[in-house]
Amino acid sequence: MLTLVGMNHRSAPLDLRERACFAEDQLEAALARLRACPGIAEAMILATCNRVEILVRSDDPAGAAATVRAFLASERGIDLGVLEGHVYVHEGPRAARHLFGVACGLDSMILGEPQILGQVKRAYEAARRGQATGPVLDRLLQNALFAAKRTRSATGISRHAVSVAYAAAKLARSLFDDLRGRRVLLLGAGKITELAARHLVSQGVGSLTIANRTYARAQTLAESLSGTALPWDDVPKALERVDIVLTGTAAATPVITRETVRRALPARRGQPLLFVDIAVPRDVEPETNTLAGVYLYDVDDLQEIVDDGLGERRRAAEEAWRLLDMEVVAFDRWRQVADLGPTIAALRERLHAVGREEIARFGRRLAPLGEAERAVVEELLRAVVQKILHTPTVTLKAAADRGEAARFAALYRQIFGLDLPGGEKGEGSGPQRLIRGGKDE
Amino acid sequence: MTRGLLEIAIVLHATGAAASFAGELRKRAAWTRAGALILSGAFVLELAVLAMLAASGPAVPVRGGADYLLALGCLVLGLHLVLSLGRGLPGIALVLPAASAAMVAVALVLPSTPPSGAALEQRGWLVAHTVVATSGMAALAVAFAMAILFLVKDRALKLKRSVRMLERFPPLETIDRVGFHAMLWGFSLLTLGIATGLAMKAELHRPLFAWSAKEVFPILAWLVFAFLLSARRARGISGRRFALLAIAGFALGILTVLGMPR
Repeated sequence: MLTLVGMNHRSAPLDLRERACFAEDQLEAALARLRACPGIAEAMILATCNRVEILVRSDDPAGAAATVRAFLASERGIDLGVLEGHVYVHEGPRAARHLFGVACGLDSMILGEPQILGQVKRAYEAARRGQATGPVLDRLLQNALFAAKRTRSATGISRHAVSVAYAAAKLARSLFDDLRGRRVLLLGAGKITELAARHLVSQGVGSLTIANRTYARAQTLAESLSGTALPWDDVPKALERVDIVLTGTAAATPVITRETVRRALPARRGQPLLFVDIAVPRDVEPETNTLAGVYLYDVDDLQEIVDDGLGERRRAAEEAWRLLDMEVVAFDRWRQVADLGPTIAALRERLHAVGREEIARFGRRLAPLGEAERAVVEELLRAVVQKILHTPTVTLKAAADRGEAARFAALYRQIFGLDLPGGEKGEGSGPQRLIRGGKDE
Repeated sequence: MTRGLLEIAIVLHATGAAASFAGELRKRAAWTRAGALILSGAFVLELAVLAMLAASGPAVPVRGGADYLLALGCLVLGLHLVLSLGRGLPGIALVLPAASAAMVAVALVLPSTPPSGAALEQRGWLVAHTVVATSGMAALAVAFAMAILFLVKDRALKLKRSVRMLERFPPLETIDRVGFHAMLWGFSLLTLGIATGLAMKAELHRPLFAWSAKEVFPILAWLVFAFLLSARRARGISGRRFALLAIAGFALGILTVLGMPR
């Protein structure tokens, strides 16, 4: 049975998430200690800045959540009472569904963000290195990673802009063939402009020039962004050669007037110029947008793009869940069929044992038979048992396909008086049998 | 037979143009693919009609306004298929297939004219003239389509339309670049077309210029494009003005058909 115990940005405050977080180099040792806990057969820990989740397969479904909670509390030195108020628990197919959603970015703070897929992959690799995974988690994680990749591409969930920086880059791509080689002028050295500039730099813009009323601040920011500082008075001249102007100063009145831009246009020889003004009050006179080849977007325009992008992502998320739910059902069917292994094996063993007992009971009456005849009788009995077994086995597998494996398995155990070694599901339960490469025969 | 084939071709052409338009507008890849497939069929049929026309009667490729528009529509469609396959330019399917379908539809309506005896005397010049002039107009049709896309995208950017709307079209810079290159090719071929036309008239000992639509409109179109290209080179003119003049130049060029025999 799968159990997932976790906390995320919605369930726990940042200071608690910080305390609960595992560093990547701590994972293997932590997983080894977790696997030493009673009943934990397989385990994986996903630790990111926004979530800590522990996924286990346990032979003790009833106690697994408590075991993992206690492990997390003791491992990270958190009071168990405090922890319990901030963690969620998902069991069985819901745990698988949650993991599929997480891998796809559907549970992320920024809906559909792509980094989580890599983080899940790294968490899985750490668990594999620590030999903490087995057939069920291997299958689950491989399915989750594959499904997340496919779903992201099918729904295009991350295509839509959900931040001002992303929206600015999207606008720029709507104007220019390629952002590589583009010249960007940054006006102001505030935090938001810096973030937006960093995003543009990450998109491969060619050069970044930074101008600020305080030249020293422009220089500091230019150093951190590998750009060039520009004296404030040179800004009008710079407008003649840049492609994108990103502005966010704290000025009370516009620092770029329509007239300033108009004077720069002849030297631009028809090259389009994009202004992204994220300052409030605005840095660029709104009338600038009326100039040919000049496109001005202020913070409200960008917010509209962001809202639009969020709406698109929500719509894409609905579609993504629909696709992932099909994958979850497929995984659950696989797990149920795998879990049937011990029941089918016990059933066969039971019926063949009946056959052997009957041969023994008829021993004296079969004594006159020669070795060859006796072998024929035994073979006949085995064939009869096999024929009898065929329909119940097929029925059981069909029940698993309908999601009724557990009910049918219990029914069979009751009807045939099956006694599975190692408890309810047996020691060599389905997935463990898969490790051994066991078949039903 | 030729007319029957042409009728089938125009039905396919119009259907393909409608499917491509709808696919591009609604962002349905399946419709766009179906449109491209149908348009390819129409292109093959139109080429076959042109070949049959050339093979029947006196072998002059373009005998009048109807043949000219058919050849132009077919060439523009061919250019659209090449551009949409090779460059994958979104938005182009909104303009070129519809424009080329309109040309072929008008060709179907106009009566076909036998060539004049004088024209047949200078068949070599006539072939060269019609091939380069028609190819030039086809390239200018692409410049025209790009100019329309430019105006639409420029307007969308100025009015801050949704990102989804903006994504329907290629980046503004791409539209401008493709349009400019198409115009360069078109202008060069149009220049050659005019030169071969003049040479043909010189051979026939006719006045080099007559005040007819067939001669005035190409010259006007040539002047517009010559101004546009030189202004772009000298002062970097581009944007809306460039797009509007490109549309005007193409409109003047297409009016040449008014002076052709009907």
